[in-house]
Amino acid sequence: MPVRTVLLGQGTCCISAGAKQISAALREEIARLDLAGTVQVKHTGCRGFSQIDPVVIIEPEGLLYSEVKVDDAPEIARSLLPQGQPIERLFYRDPVTDRAIPHHRDITFYNKQQRTVLKNCGYIDPEEIDDYLAVGGYQALRKVLSEMTPEQVIEAVKRSGLRGLGGGGFPAGRKWEACRRVPGDEKYVVCNADEGDPGAFQDRSVLEGDPHSVVEGMIIAGYAVGATKGYVYVRAEYPLAVKRLGIAIAEARERGFLGENVLGNGFGFDIEIFQGAGAFVCGESTALTLSLEGARGMPKPLPRPRTTEVGLWGRPTLLNNVKTFANIRWIINKGAEWFASQGTEKSKGTAIFSLTGKITNCGLIEVPMGITLREIIFDIGGGVPGGRTFKAVQTGGPSGGVLPEGLLGTPIDFDSLTAAGSMMGSGGMVVVDEDTCMVDLARYFLDFTQKESCGQCSLCRLGSVQMLEILNAITEGNGRIEDIDLLIELGESVKIGSICGLGQSAPNPVLSTIRYFREEYESHILEKKCPARVCKGLISYIIVSDKCKACMICLRKCPVEAIKGGKKEVHVIDQDKCTRCGVCLSVCPERFGAVEIIPGREVKIHG
Amino acid sequence: MEQIALTINDRQLSASSGMTILEVAKENSIDIPALCYRQELSPIGACRICVVEVERSETLVGSCHTPIAQGMVIHTHSKKVLQVRKTMVELLLASHCGNCFMCDKANICELRSIATDLEVGLPRFQVKKRYYPVEDASPFIVRDLTKCILCRRCVSACNEIKKEKVFGIAYRGFDSKVVVDFDQPIDKDVCRDCDVCISFCPTGALSKHGEIGEEKKGEPLIISG
Repeated sequence: MPVRTVLLGQGTCCISAGAKQISAALREEIARLDLAGTVQVKHTGCRGFSQIDPVVIIEPEGLLYSEVKVDDAPEIARSLLPQGQPIERLFYRDPVTDRAIPHHRDITFYNKQQRTVLKNCGYIDPEEIDDYLAVGGYQALRKVLSEMTPEQVIEAVKRSGLRGLGGGGFPAGRKWEACRRVPGDEKYVVCNADEGDPGAFQDRSVLEGDPHSVVEGMIIAGYAVGATKGYVYVRAEYPLAVKRLGIAIAEARERGFLGENVLGNGFGFDIEIFQGAGAFVCGESTALTLSLEGARGMPKPLPRPRTTEVGLWGRPTLLNNVKTFANIRWIINKGAEWFASQGTEKSKGTAIFSLTGKITNCGLIEVPMGITLREIIFDIGGGVPGGRTFKAVQTGGPSGGVLPEGLLGTPIDFDSLTAAGSMMGSGGMVVVDEDTCMVDLARYFLDFTQKESCGQCSLCRLGSVQMLEILNAITEGNGRIEDIDLLIELGESVKIGSICGLGQSAPNPVLSTIRYFREEYESHILEKKCPARVCKGLISYIIVSDKCKACMICLRKCPVEAIKGGKKEVHVIDQDKCTRCGVCLSVCPERFGAVEIIPGREVKIHG
Repeated sequence: MEQIALTINDRQLSASSGMTILEVAKENSIDIPALCYRQELSPIGACRICVVEVERSETLVGSCHTPIAQGMVIHTHSKKVLQVRKTMVELLLASHCGNCFMCDKANICELRSIATDLEVGLPRFQVKKRYYPVEDASPFIVRDLTKCILCRRCVSACNEIKKEKVFGIAYRGFDSKVVVDFDQPIDKDVCRDCDVCISFCPTGALSKHGEIGEEKKGEPLIISG
């Protein structure tokens, strides 16, 4: 009987940090030390703290070793010997206090979170159904099939107040009820796992770390709405998620949770995986449906029949996000009232965010609805690293808005974020600091959405491109002051005139940065300066004369020979020749630090 | 048939259920411009020129595909609507080739006439055109995608009237394009001389082979204002 368990995250993020090699090395060492009888190495999904991957956790002590390397494997194995001691040098160090923290439960990144959907991620082996069963898996399904009518299930979901976690926030119970009510002997349940936002990885993590929770949620949904077939529409770019989900479905089928006679109850349900071809717009319900049918994914104009009425192959279809399905088992097991007691009045339960950007603790977090942005960024996220100043946070993926420091008190819920000019969206959260140019940021996100436009409606297809052209002109120093109003006018038109959510939200990053950071746009246009020193056309590289040691390094490396000077002669950059490639800055020895970037096009020769 | 009471531009109207806003407006001599809509085809909803304001709706709705509902209050020419409509035409013109002098359909061009009606002059945006070679290998049809505004009438007309599927849409964003097969130039093998799509094309993107010096179709477009 194993005394200790070594948990090793094997999500895509962990593997890219080398978790596979560590696992192999650790297993080898454990076998060599003849510990196999007392120590069990278990592969799990990702624990979310991507910043310190790969992570090794020793249970039952709850020790966490961060940023483990293959070479650490022998030492970790030795520490597992009866006389072994914890390895202090591998403990996580708090970035603020620099104190070593041995136990994962004491790490601020974890202890402020409330993990429901992600509870099992990082604890159970996603490829072993017995692991899931050991933590109460499929209990909800048993309960539903033996004790509840479909109406009672729907009633429970309604009472829980669960809202669709794909971004829209439509009450899940009402959707289920609508689908149940539509007559039809053939209905479908579709799980939307087409997570296309740059910087969002929560659906992937759930599918990689706890695929059975999604499968269980879908089966319950099938029972509730009267469907016999389920599809998971998942991105083909998530091969590991597809693989683990496939294993989960096969295992569930083997154990009788899926099939013609689920748990001997007479109810039949099966799930198939469909891999999307990589179009961002296919996250939209009608486009997703068309794509599943094999057609080009293009949203249908509103008002159209709801997917719950006319969905996949014209049949009533229930479409929910991965996280929505993953919540179902908790609502059934712990009760709708328990679920409804969390979060805010109108947004219940938890929200999952992918915290990235200029943040100390980057990773996947799950927090109760109603927590403020400040708590997420500064408590869980540990604030902005490197002594820089926080500037703004962008929530909701590429079509979300950018919120400044003044709005950090905004509670996280569907309605508050929308009111502030952003949105919950897919749950991306990108933090930016003073070194980020807001015009450039807006340009970056719009560049993504305009490329992903399905090209159907003229406003989205052409409007977003023109907005991008204007932003390009501004960042290159060719902006005109009237461009700001033109951007607002175009943005508002695209927002109210487009067919689907993509067009209706694509201008958000531009409109919100103008709303909160207008002065940055004005500096770009009027002063021809990029205050954050990002936009190439609006910055200058200079050599600070009293720091320059005339070492000739930058002078030799400059690809356009723009640097003048010589031995014992302080170097000067010829601004007319300079292409602002940044080579001089990167080659100037750190101890001199003579090359600096300044906002604006400096024409005066220094020195 | 159930009668539905609604208000368009402060006029109390009544119409049969199942009709779209555009159809009711038309019946009551309210002119809503549209580029992709055609009576003979099922609504496409792509051009967005026909958008109208429906009270209590956050976004503007396409009148060609939105069915009327009891008590709807609609504004077809409010300031907001006209603003968005003008912006849209301006956007289309900014990416249109604008070679009207040479265009066979110049006088019967629907884009041109709507632009004139809405008093859209030179676009305030960067002119960003899509240039494609003229496809004239087929003896029946000349296709100049540089002039295409992606209204998709040709796609629908071919599907619905001719019951063929010659055209489809490919690529994304600004690069979206009406394609034949796997983006092949149109030639005599794929298309016969039915002319259906040509008659539906609102611009000069689809036309028949002409002779040099041939007179342009239609009366010269007189610009009012």
